[in-house]
Amino acid sequence: MPKYDETEVRNLAKEAIKQLGSQADPETIERVVKAALAKIEKTAETPRPPIELQHKTGTRIIITAFGKNQVGILAGLTDILARNKCDVLDLTQKILQEFFTIMLLVDISKSEHEFEKIKDAVIARGEELNLKVVVQHEAIFNTMHRI
Amino acid sequence: MPISLEEILETIRMTEVEHFDIRTVTMGINIKDCASDDLNKLKSNIYEKLMRIGSEHVASARKVESDYGLSIANKRIAVTPLSIAADGFHEEDYVEIARVMDKASDELGIDYLGGFSALVQKGWSMGELNLIKAIPEALSVTKHVCSSINVATTKAGINMDAVKLMGKIIKQTAAKTADKDAIGCAKLVVFANVPEDNPFIAGAFHGVSEPDVVVNVGLSGPGVILRAVREAPDNMDFADLSDRIRRMAFKITRAGEFIGKKVASLQNVPFGIVDISLAPTPMPGDSVADILRAMGLEDVGAAGTTAALALLNDSVKRGGLMASSNVGGMSGAFIPVSEDYGMIQAVKKGHIPIEKLEAMTCVCSVGLDMIAIPGDTSEQVISGVIADECALGIMNNKTTAVRIIPAPGKNVGDSVTFGGLLGEAPIMSVSKLDNIIFINRGGRFPAPVKGINN
Repeated sequence: MPKYDETEVRNLAKEAIKQLGSQADPETIERVVKAALAKIEKTAETPRPPIELQHKTGTRIIITAFGKNQVGILAGLTDILARNKCDVLDLTQKILQEFFTIMLLVDISKSEHEFEKIKDAVIARGEELNLKVVVQHEAIFNTMHRI
Repeated sequence: MPISLEEILETIRMTEVEHFDIRTVTMGINIKDCASDDLNKLKSNIYEKLMRIGSEHVASARKVESDYGLSIANKRIAVTPLSIAADGFHEEDYVEIARVMDKASDELGIDYLGGFSALVQKGWSMGELNLIKAIPEALSVTKHVCSSINVATTKAGINMDAVKLMGKIIKQTAAKTADKDAIGCAKLVVFANVPEDNPFIAGAFHGVSEPDVVVNVGLSGPGVILRAVREAPDNMDFADLSDRIRRMAFKITRAGEFIGKKVASLQNVPFGIVDISLAPTPMPGDSVADILRAMGLEDVGAAGTTAALALLNDSVKRGGLMASSNVGGMSGAFIPVSEDYGMIQAVKKGHIPIEKLEAMTCVCSVGLDMIAIPGDTSEQVISGVIADECALGIMNNKTTAVRIIPAPGKNVGDSVTFGGLLGEAPIMSVSKLDNIIFINRGGRFPAPVKGINN
């Protein structure tokens, strides 16, 4: 219970006496002051819904990687995904001249790791392979490209 | 239909190459319930409410950035106009409140806090007048706090006393922050027909009819629109050009709304609006001026510039309105000088005078924005510039504003540099003809016939 100092309670009592006018007797004043304090307390303690950062953001992610073509890009990326128990649902790749682009649609629902951790692992593996890797939840693409 | 590789690559090109990002997620917080006639109590009420409600704002925005690979340039807070939550205080009291707001902003890690504001289009209370007088000091002793004053509406007309006073306040603000190129003036905007849910600084505040807390979002995507226009062949007609812009605006608005809703839901707060203004940045390629040039003008300032801007603004609205049911705020192209690389270059080359910019404000969302003028410009001239923009606003029933920087000690040929998103502004020349009798008339400029529409 929040503490009220004496002055605050006295002011409250004074106001109660003023408002009650002829009905003011010690018992009524005490009742009114107690009720007012209880009400203040209730307002102060009304809980705000708890903030949860674990928000459902979906379990399908899209990994896009670009870089110079070389042996082992697909193997490298799928290896790190397999280690994290991520399921590759679809992939598309293209080689334009020397330049390699790959997109993987991945289900992370069976992984014991959070999105952040998987993202960091894939980006780190990409760096070893000299690839620029972007990892995003699938929803942003659906939002932008589908009505 | 599954998402194709081309669509994914387009999204990534937008964010990685064309600077498409979310300019701001702005959390609006009602502080009417912080009111108290005891200054210390009021200050602690405001501080506590900001710290309580805003505690997860930056973390939530960062999480959404990471999840969806779209960067959010600024995390901001807007509060109820301070003069409403704290009327009847003295000038120095408002400065103290501004300090408390700044402290909370620092601790929360947000970039800007808007709402050191008053709505005085028809007149002012003593508190509102004191708040306005406190602006120069408040903006010079704080880093994050931004101020906006609404001095005109189509329904009320123009408060010419406020217009007169704001010329003086802008000069004083410039003088107080002279050592930093008058940066205080970059955080102060004078409005006509101010929107109450605008997420953009310096004009953001949390309107009195808004819910207790809300998250609004503002976009930044000139680079993306620029590509759409650049790729159009020279002989493409205006209807097709508009269609290209519209399609691109649709995509970025969808992304903006999505991001705003995610940031809001992470904090269990309602989502408000997406503002589809195309906020430029001082980075090359992320410029509204460049879009106008890509339409076929040698530079902004060429005959046809106003028409080009009108086409851009309207096309963006078409796409944006299709994409989201929650479009609000300013929602029109911004043409700030210092914050737009192409605009800075055009001013440096002498291609665009302030009068052309004024004409352009008739067809886009804000007004004379981030324009630096010589430091010896009189307060009456600044008031005159404000009066002109207000007249455009009330007569055309639209928002207009003035954010002008009379840079102390500087003249045409010099420039001011703020850095970051505020950029740099070459000093522009402004008419020095005498208008003192006109400005000193004061009183209320009557509401236009257009405003009497019932």
